[in-house]
Amino acid sequence: MIKKFKIECIINGKKFVGEIEPNLRLIDFIRDILGLYGTKEGCGEGECGSCIVLLDRKPVNSCLVMAFSVNKKEIITIEGVEMMKYGKKLKDSFNNNFVVQCGFCIPGIIMVASALLENNSNPTEDDIKKAISGNICRCSGYEVIIDAIKNCI
Amino acid sequence: MIKQAIKFYSLKELWKNIKSLPLKRKYLAGGSDLIISLKNLDIDCLIDISDIKELRVIKENKDNIFIGAAVKISEIEDNDCLKKYAPAIVEAAKFYASPSIRNIATIGGNIANASPCADGVLALISLQSLCILNYYGKRRIVKVMDLIKDVKKTILRKDEIIEGFIIPKKGFKSVFLKMMPRKAFGIAKAGLCVSYIANKYYINDISIAVSSVGPKIIKCIKTEKFLKNKFLNEEIIKKASLIIRKEISPISDYRSTAYYRTEIISTFLVRALNSIK
Repeated sequence: MIKKFKIECIINGKKFVGEIEPNLRLIDFIRDILGLYGTKEGCGEGECGSCIVLLDRKPVNSCLVMAFSVNKKEIITIEGVEMMKYGKKLKDSFNNNFVVQCGFCIPGIIMVASALLENNSNPTEDDIKKAISGNICRCSGYEVIIDAIKNCI
Repeated sequence: MIKQAIKFYSLKELWKNIKSLPLKRKYLAGGSDLIISLKNLDIDCLIDISDIKELRVIKENKDNIFIGAAVKISEIEDNDCLKKYAPAIVEAAKFYASPSIRNIATIGGNIANASPCADGVLALISLQSLCILNYYGKRRIVKVMDLIKDVKKTILRKDEIIEGFIIPKKGFKSVFLKMMPRKAFGIAKAGLCVSYIANKYYINDISIAVSSVGPKIIKCIKTEKFLKNKFLNEEIIKKASLIIRKEISPISDYRSTAYYRTEIISTFLVRALNSIK
């Protein structure tokens, strides 16, 4: 018999209390249970970075975290990125710089960038490159992505 | 099929409740390796130990540094005490997977997973670290290099956990070299970590570990013995690079070939020794 896990956490500023399946990954929890479809599953093994969300304000791959592990923690997804200091600015900058091509990698990259700028409001190009080193953009739009992040500084 | 998941916040709580859990149980620390292979494993119960408070600390005394097993790789990267006394492990953390995985993965998980290419373990072995194991509250201490038996196999008993690591403050300087298919976020084709105490070119103490060139991370004892108490010069370095070739047993796989791996380790050793002044 499957024993459900009682979870209590904060998602995008709102408290969630409920019971979840024990084998659920964080990405499944975010998409299938909470219905927040902004977070994307690309590879499902931590390689692509599309599924990155903020766990206690640090970027993590939500395909590599179990949902029950985030008990008593805070999660911010792309839907709640404006809770971060640079969230709104990043979104506008990505729009204004025409960064988005297919868009699949963008939620992950914006989450990473918002965490980077919160800790370091004046990153060098190298810092930006290091921060997004775990994000793959198969449209290869890296230059405009880096420019858009720089424009927020 | 996972039927139950549970998360503990202290060792006391863990040892009190663990026996009532399903028999096919497995610990989860970071999970960055475990979760990918979850579908292929026959487990009934997952036990999250990543927030057990005793496993979350880095502390130091006069002679040693203690790193809790559930310390994240990103926390190692930023720790000032480790930067000062154990630069090898900070270097390893910098090149460890991607920044977001470093926020998930733990140093204890890195060794429990017993992969022959584990960067964290490479540094720990080179720094001559010890490992504290905890079995229902009873502790035993083993050398990190003795903890791993073979590919993906450790000497851990059922329910035994890794509590943390002791890094002796020996004043080692270190060189950490890793060959990756790209600049960032790569798994090592081969890696080498040398920790040493040297007076100009004279080697007082040296400890060499290599990764991805055998079933587990190897400590190159013969090469160490050869180099110890010697003045480094071109000839000695050349000889050492020949000895190390015999201590490794690389295979060819989809990441690299045995030939290339041997060349890399030997070249890395020359580079590392040349940087000792």
